Amino acid sequence: MTKYIIKRILWMIPVLLCVVTIVFTITYFTPGDPVLIILGAGNYTPEAYAKKAAELGLDRSYIGQLTTYIWNLVTKLDLGRSFLTNIPVSNELMVRIPVSFRLSLMGIAVMVSVGLPLGMISALKQYSILDTTLTSISLIIAAMPAFVMAILNLLIFGVILRVLPTTGLDSWRNYILPVVSAAGSGIGVYLRMTRTTMLEVIRQDYIRTARAKGQIERVVIQRHALRNCLIPLVTVIGAFVATVFSGSIIVETIFNITGMGTYLMGGLLGRDYPIINGTVFVICTLVCTVNLCVDIAYAFIDPRVKAQFTSPRKRAKIVKELIEVKGEAS
Amino acid sequence: MSLLEIKGLTIHYETRESVISAVNGLDLSIDESKTLGLVGETGAGKTTTALGVMRLVPDPPGKILGGEILFEGKDLLKATDNEIRKIRGNDISMIFQDPMTALNPIIRIGDQIAEVIQLHGNCSKTEAMVRSLKMLETVGIQPERSIEYPHQFSGGMKQRVVIAMALACSPKLLIADEPTTALDVTIQAQVLELMNELKQQNKTSMLLITHDLGIVAETCDEVAIMYAGEIVEYGSLAQIFRNALHPYTIGLFGSIPSLDKDVDRLNPIQGLMPDPADLPEGCKFHERCNFIDEKCETGELETVEVEPGHFVRCLRVAKGEI
Repeated sequence: MTKYIIKRILWMIPVLLCVVTIVFTITYFTPGDPVLIILGAGNYTPEAYAKKAAELGLDRSYIGQLTTYIWNLVTKLDLGRSFLTNIPVSNELMVRIPVSFRLSLMGIAVMVSVGLPLGMISALKQYSILDTTLTSISLIIAAMPAFVMAILNLLIFGVILRVLPTTGLDSWRNYILPVVSAAGSGIGVYLRMTRTTMLEVIRQDYIRTARAKGQIERVVIQRHALRNCLIPLVTVIGAFVATVFSGSIIVETIFNITGMGTYLMGGLLGRDYPIINGTVFVICTLVCTVNLCVDIAYAFIDPRVKAQFTSPRKRAKIVKELIEVKGEAS
Repeated sequence: MSLLEIKGLTIHYETRESVISAVNGLDLSIDESKTLGLVGETGAGKTTTALGVMRLVPDPPGKILGGEILFEGKDLLKATDNEIRKIRGNDISMIFQDPMTALNPIIRIGDQIAEVIQLHGNCSKTEAMVRSLKMLETVGIQPERSIEYPHQFSGGMKQRVVIAMALACSPKLLIADEPTTALDVTIQAQVLELMNELKQQNKTSMLLITHDLGIVAETCDEVAIMYAGEIVEYGSLAQIFRNALHPYTIGLFGSIPSLDKDVDRLNPIQGLMPDPADLPEGCKFHERCNFIDEKCETGELETVEVEPGHFVRCLRVAKGEI
């Protein structure tokens, strides 16, 4: 198991390097000139332009810039400084990562804790009024992008009903709207996924076998259906992390939260390349890490994967215990 | 007294578009420690009958509409959920057709067998585990393998596990639904032999569902031929194999290639089984029958006893015309 985890962590390195290269390339070739934005169009001399470009390192070739960036990142963990403010990107991110990470994880938690049980109920009471209501509501929610959800929440709970604060993160009440908005469509999608998975599992032959044993219906669902159903559902959480993260970028902007999202947004508008590259790199690292955690959790839920990593010594021990039990009894 | 007696069992699958008449007024009985072979084509309603006895017909869409299933004199269709649960796995157990999917993929096989023992055996977890290890030994699997998961076993081994599970509580009746269909021929023989051996040891009655007349000849005491949800012919092994009377049974035997005759083509029964959503009136076999009479298309059918213990459901046999 340890070997597997180490292998997976090592695999993150090439993935992240690829991401850095791709994002760097995209920002490099995107139209818009950061020097022009800093100096202001129209009132600068060619000398001033050349000086500023040299200062920012933008006068060098694409390959030169890319290698310097990656070299600094790998050797010094340096993400560069913002073009506009000259503040190191890493300093700024250190403050903002916890905010965004907390928001996204809470979003995921809400998505799973609402979507999973409701999806199960929906499947177990298939074709009931409850099921029809849940599936239709979830379809509407699933079709709603994060920004629509955020604006609707803002409008209904913040402006019309005035029950929840709409900006900042001062108390727990401030978290409600952003978290729900970030989880938003995820809840709908996850509910429907859970429902489909559960329906598939309860139609399996081994569920019939469990019933044929004379098992109580509640245990049939808990012991036989639930765990089989959870295996694929845990796996897809990894995929949802990226969705919720990108959703929280928009949500942060709408609810005016000083997280990575607002930072990235500012960077994009000001063509502040180090901010864009650095933030995307950090988000990607977080997504990779969460995915790794999900994969490890998967091994613990699916005994087949776990068995694969059981050492022969441990296996022999279990067998020995079994034989002892048998010997004692007879 | 017979152990299991089914009278007029009717099971339909009702969907929005149509009603599929899977089992129509079926009568059957199995005596103690006897084996009854239930033979028929795919879609004849064999599995539905078996699931009906276990009260496991999936509802929706399946509905048991009428009849009686008397097990030791008690009507299973009138039993409460609790009562039927105590019978399932304990007095009546079932071996399913496909061992590949019948076992829970994420539970150790030892635990899966122990589960049924713990449910009905009135014993502790350890005791159930010990008995499950013994059961594995009985079906020829090393007890050490009980910590393995179903995917670590071959198909034949999995079916052994399923058999161990079914026989763990020494049931009075074992329903085997095509237990060897999913296995290759060499394994088939082993599994059948194992089932027979264990059945004789425990004096278990068995309802063997199959479409393989060879298996029937080897293992059964009585045979029931099923067609479109009805029993068309019923009798002892000798009566059916030596003196088949119903045209469908005759057709079934006729479609088996013979070793001593040199033929170019097999001789199947012509036509297809009628759509169970739209069964014909009169005799359900008349469209494929070689001995058809106009009365066959409309006439009311009755099952007649042509010789002691030998029943046939055919108008022309009843009149002595065939």
